[in-house]
Amino acid sequence: MIEKYLAQPDLDFIAQVKGLGGETLKKCYQCATCSIACPIAPDDSPFPRKEMIAASWGLKDRLVNSGDIWLCHQCGDCTDLCPRGAAPGDVLAAVRSVAITEYAQPKALAKAVNDPKKLPILLAVPAVWFAILAFITMTAGETMEKIFHTIFGDVLGGRLHWSHASEGADHVIAQANFFSTWFVDMTFVPIATAVVVIFFLSLKNFLNDIHENAVLEGKTDKTTLDYKEFFQALLRVIPTILKHDKFNECESNKDRATPHMMVLYSFIGLFIVTAVCGMMLYLGGLPGPYSQLNPIKWLANIGGVALTIGGALMIKNRFDKKDDQITSYKDWFILVVVFSLGLTGLLTEMARLAHMAGASYFFYYLHLIAIFELFAFLPFSKMAHLVYRLTAMTYAEYGNRR
Amino acid sequence: MDKKYGVYICTGCGIGDTLDMEDLVYVPDEEGINCTTHPFLCSKEGVALIQKDVDDEKVNAMVIGACSRRVNFDVFNFEGCIVERANLREGVVWPHSREKYPKLEKDQKDDEEHFDPIQMKAEDYIKMGMIRVEKVKLPEPYKTESFSRKILVLGGGVTGMSSALDAAKAGYDVTIVEKTDKLGGYAANMRSQMPVCEPFETLRPSIADDLIAEVESFSNIDIKTTTEVARIAGQPGEFLVTLKTPGEKIAFDVPFPLPEEMLVDENGKDLTAEDAHAKFLEYNEGREDILKRDPDGELYGAVILAAGWRPDVLEGEKYEHLGIDLDDVVTNDEFEKIAAKGKIVRPSDGKEAKNVVFIQSPGKDEDDADFEYTGSVTSQVALKQAKYVRDDYQDGKAYIIYQHMRTPGLQEYFYKSMQQEDGIFMTKGAVTEVAPQGNGLSVTATNTLLGENLAIKADMVVVAGGMVPVTKDDPVINLAYRQGPGFRDNDIFGQYADSNYICFPYETQRTGIYAAGAVRRAMTIEESMEDATGAALKAIQCIESSNKGISVHPRSGDMTFPDFFFQRCTQCKRCTVECPFGALDDDEKGTPMANPTRCRRCGTCMGACPERIISFADYTIDSIGSQVKAIGVPSEDDYDEPPFRFLALICENDAFPALDMVGMNRMDYSPNVRFIPIRCLGSFNVIWVKDALAQGMDGVILIGCKHGDDYQCHFIKGSELAETRIKKIGDALSSLALEKERVAFTEIAIDEYDKLPEIVNAFADEVEALGPNPFKGF
Repeated sequence: MIEKYLAQPDLDFIAQVKGLGGETLKKCYQCATCSIACPIAPDDSPFPRKEMIAASWGLKDRLVNSGDIWLCHQCGDCTDLCPRGAAPGDVLAAVRSVAITEYAQPKALAKAVNDPKKLPILLAVPAVWFAILAFITMTAGETMEKIFHTIFGDVLGGRLHWSHASEGADHVIAQANFFSTWFVDMTFVPIATAVVVIFFLSLKNFLNDIHENAVLEGKTDKTTLDYKEFFQALLRVIPTILKHDKFNECESNKDRATPHMMVLYSFIGLFIVTAVCGMMLYLGGLPGPYSQLNPIKWLANIGGVALTIGGALMIKNRFDKKDDQITSYKDWFILVVVFSLGLTGLLTEMARLAHMAGASYFFYYLHLIAIFELFAFLPFSKMAHLVYRLTAMTYAEYGNRR
Repeated sequence: MDKKYGVYICTGCGIGDTLDMEDLVYVPDEEGINCTTHPFLCSKEGVALIQKDVDDEKVNAMVIGACSRRVNFDVFNFEGCIVERANLREGVVWPHSREKYPKLEKDQKDDEEHFDPIQMKAEDYIKMGMIRVEKVKLPEPYKTESFSRKILVLGGGVTGMSSALDAAKAGYDVTIVEKTDKLGGYAANMRSQMPVCEPFETLRPSIADDLIAEVESFSNIDIKTTTEVARIAGQPGEFLVTLKTPGEKIAFDVPFPLPEEMLVDENGKDLTAEDAHAKFLEYNEGREDILKRDPDGELYGAVILAAGWRPDVLEGEKYEHLGIDLDDVVTNDEFEKIAAKGKIVRPSDGKEAKNVVFIQSPGKDEDDADFEYTGSVTSQVALKQAKYVRDDYQDGKAYIIYQHMRTPGLQEYFYKSMQQEDGIFMTKGAVTEVAPQGNGLSVTATNTLLGENLAIKADMVVVAGGMVPVTKDDPVINLAYRQGPGFRDNDIFGQYADSNYICFPYETQRTGIYAAGAVRRAMTIEESMEDATGAALKAIQCIESSNKGISVHPRSGDMTFPDFFFQRCTQCKRCTVECPFGALDDDEKGTPMANPTRCRRCGTCMGACPERIISFADYTIDSIGSQVKAIGVPSEDDYDEPPFRFLALICENDAFPALDMVGMNRMDYSPNVRFIPIRCLGSFNVIWVKDALAQGMDGVILIGCKHGDDYQCHFIKGSELAETRIKKIGDALSSLALEKERVAFTEIAIDEYDKLPEIVNAFADEVEALGPNPFKGF
């Protein structure tokens, strides 16, 4: 009995990929120009030719658990050279979206994030939530202070106060007067925790699946998953990512590397800022706003500016390449969120410095919604590529995929 | 015709610069023939000069020493005149340059040491031209006794109806003969048809019904259903056709040749000619001889064969692995019939067939061949039928496993459109097994695009059977020809009716019978309709040419035809047997009976005849023989070391144009070779070799077209026959103590002109190594 693969095409999967920006998937006639064109496809069992036939056959089991789809940086070289207009780069991007949805829990939320019809709800939830919080902060400050005092009493030497507004908060514009820092953190800390848990569970499955797939398709010389070695591989991969080496191997979309790098670095920077500010507040008891001379403020400003410019450049690129590259809802969602995040953050700060309290609070409100959109939907949106691609690249490094 | 000779020599295009005109003009002058030179003979003034001589009745048989006869043939065309073109440009001054063969100095001219090979060649060509105009006659057209302009179409399918319509619209009366009881053919029984117009993306209803309605609306189309051809006698322009009801036995059923197994006796020995004839008569008892005319027969001018195809029957060990005996494994033909009835259901239990695998190639072995008698049409049918599955079921899945997916021309759009169907899955692959599994089937394939061995669960499997031309089973045309009722050599075309589908589509090996549609190759409805137009045009060309007494093809317009000097005929039947087109029927005694409108004027009969009694008005054994004899053969009496002399008989269809190209490209070769173009190597008569060698020429080479399965011979058999004749001549040469190598045979394709100088030189070198012809100077 020869070993054989039972093909079970999934028509729903095809429809799903088509709906997520991969509408060209059936056009492929398997010439393999794409695999030759791809600057980063490994010599052994290269992509995306095989991914294209699997996609056009609707072989979901072959794609969502393949690490290869994540090695693609969607540079667009294959799409440019495809003689049939099958746009393999876009198809792979769509397949990645399906994979994100597939690994993420809860599924309903994952589907909603990729469904433009659900966007109003996704926006309404944080909008209403933060409006309520703002209302409480502005109107019921004293009540909250009392509740706080009743619960915590003199714990930590009475350092736990409801308000984190700076001394003399009346004449300084402080966001804490608008939204209680407590509320903000009570919203985002659980969300961040949930995100981490969801990612952890997803990645566990994901890593096992891509390993199994690699073993099945002979793409690795490893038979078992050794987590220690895997971690060492991760350390080797990180510099590659930071330097955007893979990105720079591309021809068609070279100009995408810079904005992507700006956004990535600004996220790293802003992550540091957030962590430091959290420590300053809760450990040091030093609430913001901080002086512009404070080094952490420098980092925050640079990060904010880089994020905004990077996001804007990415959006511009998408518009410039309208004819060459498909930009689907999932792309716009994340681009707009990233750009809005940076822009509202900067506007908030500028309005504050200009003593325009109303405007500053309003922008801060929008800023919080943008943060919510980014964080709460991180495991379901395109942003999840951050962890999936990192994992897949690490696995490729670990599995000696060259 | 009282011939008045004249020679005109052009001095343009380098002729005058290279050749010594005084000496050249001396050649006709010596014979007392007026010779005129002109610097630009093909100009208005040049032509007017000749025309004036013609008008003044000074000349009516002329040699024009200028360019090749392949150019300016329309310029040097003088009505009522015999015109011979001596090829001084492409044949003499262009290939041979003065750098290589310097002009002789005055004192060298008369010594016995120096000679000018270029000048010698030119003078020979003028001499050869002069003798030819002396020997040939102006042709007169052949007129048939009776004549019909009606066209007979065999087959009432899409092809037949389309060609009938095309011919009818051109004003010809047409009769459609259809074996079954209704028109429409296979197309009338299909669910849908592949697209025929932009954007070539969606299926359309079969065009058959529209065609039937249109055909029935034409008053000059006569439809005869439940009818077939008993025999077609006669020749183009006056085919005498006997029709009958299928299955009926009538006296005018055409006699069939004996099957091969009946040509031997019990001991396996060949029957004698007499015994075989007796057996033949017994075998065909009750059938009239081919020469017996049916008094009730109907006259037709030309015939279009559009008898089509039948679905191939796939059976036996070869296809066992495809589960061909299982109920739910069907052919594409059976699938079409299921689809035509309604939703696709399984033959075994009538359940919905939502998963259907289409198998395009038998697979199994490393051989990637498709099924027999398939073609691009089979690929397209698979796409069409896959679409049926999708149309019938929203969750339907159709898999196509192919070795070749052929969608030529604009059908590529159809392929693209089917590819876009979510539920159509295609891969190249070799199917290794179709086996029952559970309630359905399991299909296994190797070498797929998915990179591994593939298994697919299916409700039903469709194998792509081919379209077998009906000419495989039956001659259909039932010709009352001595060479037999069907086409000859159909086996080299896999039984398709064809002669050369690239160079001469629609032509068959029988003049006046034009094949179209699936009888020629597996083709789609769209292709068949285009083919039908081609065949209709050929039929019309045939009628109009036959009516004028000129040849149809490939020597279109040739007014000559074979003329027999019967007093000397020995009834050897060689001409009847060798004619590639079955133009000759012989009577009981074996005397050939020519059917000139069947003839293509290749002269194969002329070459075959051992008595040399067959000739054409402007092409005879004598005319060529005299040209051979006109070639000057210098001997030791003339020069200390006389140059060798070679004769090349060159086929004028491909080899002669190649020779012209050699000249155009200024490629040099031995100037000692004299070329005589002949109609076809089939017309080569061995006497010409004797003529050449007897007068001291050193060697003879025949240059023709390729023969064999991929023959390029315009007359199919010519070069093959010539080679046989050459082989036989070898023994005769040995008896004269002449080396066999002095006579050679070579084949060349028109695009291999660059090899021609090498071939000619190699032959010359080989013969020169043998030494001069010992008969030289006798």
